[in-house]
Amino acid sequence: MTRKIDPITFEVVRNALSSIADEMALVVLRSAYSPVVRDAMDYSTAVCDRHGQVVAQGLTLAVQLGSFPDVMEVLLREFRDDMAPGDIFICNDPYGSGGQHLPDLYVIKPLFVDGAVRGYAATMAHHSDVGGIAPGSVAIHATEIYQEGLRLPLLKLYEAGEPDRKLFRIIEKNTRSPVQVLGDLRAQLAACRIAERGFGQLVDRYGVKKLETYLKELHDFAETRMRAEIARIPDGTYRFVDWIDGVGDDPEPLPIAVTVTVEGDAITLDFAGSAGQVPAAINCPMAMVRSAAYCAIRCLATDDVPNCEGYMRPIRMSAPAGTIVNPVEPAACAARGVIGYRVFDAIMGAIAEAVPDLVIAGCEGGPTLFSVGGHHEGKPFVLTEVLVSTWGARAARDGVEGISNPAANLSNQPVELIEAELPLEVTRYGLVPDSGGAGKHRGGLASVREFRFLAERSEFTIRTDRRDHPPYGIAGGGPGAASANTLIDRDGEHDVATMPMKSFIARRGDTFRMVSAGGGGYGDPRGRDPYAVLADVRDEKLTRESARDVYGVVVSEEGKPATPSAVPRRPVRR
Amino acid sequence: MGIRVGVDVGGTFTDVVLLGDDGRLVARKVSSTPEDYSRGIAEGVAAALADSEAAPGDVASVVHATTVATNTILEQKGARTGLITTRGFRDVLEMRRLRIPVMYDLQYEKPAPLVPRRLRREVDERLGPDGTVRRELDAASLDAAVAELRREGVEAAAVSLLHAYANPAHERRVADRLRESFPNGLYVTCSSDILPEIREYERTSTAVVNAYIGPVVQRYMETLLGRLRDLGVGCPVHIMQSSGGVMSVEAAGRKPACMVESGPAAGVMACARLARGAGLDNLISFDMGGTTAKAAMVEGGQAAKTTEFEVGGGINLSSRLIKGGGYPVKLPFVDVSEIGAGGGSICRVDGVGQTSVGPQSAGAVPGPVCYDLGGVDPTLTDALVAIGYLNPGYLVGGSLPLNTAKALAVLEEKVARPLDRPVAEAAHGVLALACATMTRAVKAVTTYRGRDPRDFVLAAFGGNGPVLGVEIARALQIRRVLVPPVPGVFSALGLLYSDVEQEFVQTVMIRAEGAEADTVAAAFDSLEAEAREAMIADGFSAEAVTVERLADLRYAGQAYELTVPVAPGTPDLQDMARAFDREHERTYGHPSEGDPVDLVNVKVLARVAVHAANPDRHLLPPPPATLGAPRDVYFGPADGTLETAVVARTDLTADWNEGPVIVEEYDATCVVPPGCRARLDAFGNIDIAVDTRP
Repeated sequence: MTRKIDPITFEVVRNALSSIADEMALVVLRSAYSPVVRDAMDYSTAVCDRHGQVVAQGLTLAVQLGSFPDVMEVLLREFRDDMAPGDIFICNDPYGSGGQHLPDLYVIKPLFVDGAVRGYAATMAHHSDVGGIAPGSVAIHATEIYQEGLRLPLLKLYEAGEPDRKLFRIIEKNTRSPVQVLGDLRAQLAACRIAERGFGQLVDRYGVKKLETYLKELHDFAETRMRAEIARIPDGTYRFVDWIDGVGDDPEPLPIAVTVTVEGDAITLDFAGSAGQVPAAINCPMAMVRSAAYCAIRCLATDDVPNCEGYMRPIRMSAPAGTIVNPVEPAACAARGVIGYRVFDAIMGAIAEAVPDLVIAGCEGGPTLFSVGGHHEGKPFVLTEVLVSTWGARAARDGVEGISNPAANLSNQPVELIEAELPLEVTRYGLVPDSGGAGKHRGGLASVREFRFLAERSEFTIRTDRRDHPPYGIAGGGPGAASANTLIDRDGEHDVATMPMKSFIARRGDTFRMVSAGGGGYGDPRGRDPYAVLADVRDEKLTRESARDVYGVVVSEEGKPATPSAVPRRPVRR
Repeated sequence: MGIRVGVDVGGTFTDVVLLGDDGRLVARKVSSTPEDYSRGIAEGVAAALADSEAAPGDVASVVHATTVATNTILEQKGARTGLITTRGFRDVLEMRRLRIPVMYDLQYEKPAPLVPRRLRREVDERLGPDGTVRRELDAASLDAAVAELRREGVEAAAVSLLHAYANPAHERRVADRLRESFPNGLYVTCSSDILPEIREYERTSTAVVNAYIGPVVQRYMETLLGRLRDLGVGCPVHIMQSSGGVMSVEAAGRKPACMVESGPAAGVMACARLARGAGLDNLISFDMGGTTAKAAMVEGGQAAKTTEFEVGGGINLSSRLIKGGGYPVKLPFVDVSEIGAGGGSICRVDGVGQTSVGPQSAGAVPGPVCYDLGGVDPTLTDALVAIGYLNPGYLVGGSLPLNTAKALAVLEEKVARPLDRPVAEAAHGVLALACATMTRAVKAVTTYRGRDPRDFVLAAFGGNGPVLGVEIARALQIRRVLVPPVPGVFSALGLLYSDVEQEFVQTVMIRAEGAEADTVAAAFDSLEAEAREAMIADGFSAEAVTVERLADLRYAGQAYELTVPVAPGTPDLQDMARAFDREHERTYGHPSEGDPVDLVNVKVLARVAVHAANPDRHLLPPPPATLGAPRDVYFGPADGTLETAVVARTDLTADWNEGPVIVEEYDATCVVPPGCRARLDAFGNIDIAVDTRP
């Protein structure tokens, strides 16, 4: 194969670009203030070419793979002729500025070389609070975006190197946690500056023209790669409907419908048939739907595809306006992640029909969002937890438990740090036995996290899902266990809806327990290796009763059968 | 003071270095013996003693770097280990931090926990973050947990209770109960002893790793001491730690988790000494062997440290970002980044022309195609032979002849043809690509820490370091490269230049502003007393012990700390906070002056200098008797093929010698490309001035 460019230099350039994006990610991680950035790693970094197209992305969150194209498009459209060295842009508005929801602040710096823009450094971070009706700014019970906090269209945060102090003051005055927000903004700004240095060195080394040839080649290469991957999927039209439980105390299920059409080396995703937008904050702007869909398709690739925009070219998407997957102003969208992650699940469900070996059964459903705040000993406090937990089973493997959702790559917050900094006690954090979907390969176990409130009065909001529509199994595998939220106060235990349209007040000593859904299973449970069942029983991941009733494997009380024949099979009760 | 012996055991070779009072240096490379590494060590030491015509009784000390701790984990051959933890937190070890090191891979499997769930038991008890007892340790639950571990027949146990960093009392009671319940002995590690630091997963993991490898490491040490005694070597043996300090065999038995990166640390310590000797402040240590390349930073004559490391995490490219692939150990480490690119790295060109070098390696067997031992994939070594960088008749002193024709044939078939390039150009491309990958290892310890590599000198060693050192330097615009004497066994030499060192840490978690200086002083004082006591217990005199104080700080709300040195005496908290501002600016490019600063940990580093009496100058081994004739070497499309002189190190003079020139030695080959110049400095280093044109 002959190419116009030198394949070695190509790899060297590609390597250098990834290295810049990773370095940016590292700077944000190490110097950020808020737990949701520093521990949950809910942020993203990228280097873009002068057309605003992503050429490299830092290794942070999978689902954010496509998080920059929309905002970059707006930036170039509105400011192409109005950029100077030292300018830095900021925005978060999903309507008109390419944002996803208000807590995600984008900070983007044009990279100038010899007076012209040659690229962009872009960062996005989920900030701890941007105002709105509840601490953490992700409350589900907002019905319009106007209730969700500070809206920033694309604006210059720095102009020719000078900070816009008014804008900084406005931001500072519109958050419940100004120290964290400003600290995290500084981390994003530092990452952009780091990128400027690294990108400048690349230009020095190769010259503008040569570098741009290679960047173009990078997009073309990624496209070629992606087309080859798609070509491996049998042509056809595949449909799947997954469900959101719905909002409020008496929820009405909301469908996420996807029709996947594979034709040769191109793929089309159509979300027609999905529910209309709702007066609650779960509507998912198209920027995130696209991002989640790119991530799902990227997961089907068996080879290394560069994380640059070129690979998106063979993927086309459409969603009717006014639906939960393409809402229009003023739909509220702060807690839109639940839809984004379900888009991933729905695409997996559809593709399972075509390439069952490449997909994964239903996972926990994406992060549970738990935000709590109040005043304690005269000082305000806010905690946003982004809880992820488990995977569905695969064609040849059990689901992984104690892991981030495949569309995310989130971390948990250390219990000891939470307790040292906040009036909360974590009373339990671990796996839940018997919660993995049954199967030849079982789904990953659910996890439980339980808080005791130590402040006199704490206000919290919760967004979960997957209670009425637990994670699906594949090829005869059973669904994972349903999720549950329980508030325990002096009057006893109370079920809390998956997406309640309100915040809750907890008193000192009350406890709130969140149990995630378990992963879906894969294949007939009667085909499961009896020794795998036995190991699960011994590890107390499966009870003896479930081993017998679901898998037909009888395990003695000691849990130690001496030979395979000591593991008799019984007919399975279904 | 007698002969000092350094022994560095790697996967392929065991390197032994003998250093006499008079500065005479004897180096010996023997094959490692993985079924029992101590056998190879004994053979190597005996051979080196014979070379130097010294008696075993003349050996005054042995310092040892070993992979035994790491291998025990990689091969999952540790002790059957239990874990006792607080009720409700049995799964902390298995849940980990959730993050994984790969994305878009739906077939991913997590590393299995070193303690399976059935061996993780809970007790009823609870401490608060300040160490206050919220719930007393319940005796009945403790009895039940201990009985369960007895029933399961564990050989080792870790104890990790929530907030034990603030109050070890409950952990100690659990440990006592465990010890008295296992009359035949049980290896017990408390998290509050090995790492009294906040963050339950990292502390638990560190304690578990320690318990898991403890019995294996203790047995290894006993065998090794026995072998050395049989040889007539009865002197004290010290073990290299991941931090670059050494410790006694007894200390190593108690804290084996401190030695998981002992080999890589040794090379960096050798560089630190090289830097101090040559009057250089800043040095990048670049160590390249058969399977990996390692980089580290020496700044102000000191090796840069970190406390974040995952054993078995695969390639450790700036472990700070890509996490979750291994078993975290949060103890002091020399900050070494490692990339899967070495002489044995396999080069591949896939169907669409994408080219890669490593991380798959041909290993020692079958090895590169040119070894003629059955290798079928082109490797970096094949490329180096093909373009003339390596002498096919002179690897390891000629004991390993190389088949150039086979190297050329495989490169032609699997690289040159798919890329539609002449074979020499393709082979040089393989080299360039390997360098690009390795450049990231260097960046991980420099630019990722806010340092500019151009401000550093690159020290290249290891079997392949001197071959590619200049190319790496060029890619990073570094202007000077040093190749030290005995580069192939340089790490073993570094063992002889390390201090005895132990670090002690205590989490304090207080706001620097408004804190009582006395409280902090008391924390430092008690830690210092503990440190001195430990060193005296290891047999050192009180006068020989020096201590250094350090503090981990962060802006209130941040999750990661930076470490700054603290002056002795009553600490000035304002000074500490300002020193932190400066370090933050240096590392991340901005300080947040005025934001509140938290003092998270106080640390004390106790040290005894054991190499003070080492000779200043080394008497080097004699040069090889026969050297290769000048040969044609291909230096890339710009320079083409040039006839290149081949010389011995001692042929170089103190005046600049123009490249191209190749220096061949018993244990390494040093390539000085055209445009660069080389000379021999007063310390026997090859000093190369790099032409940094792009």
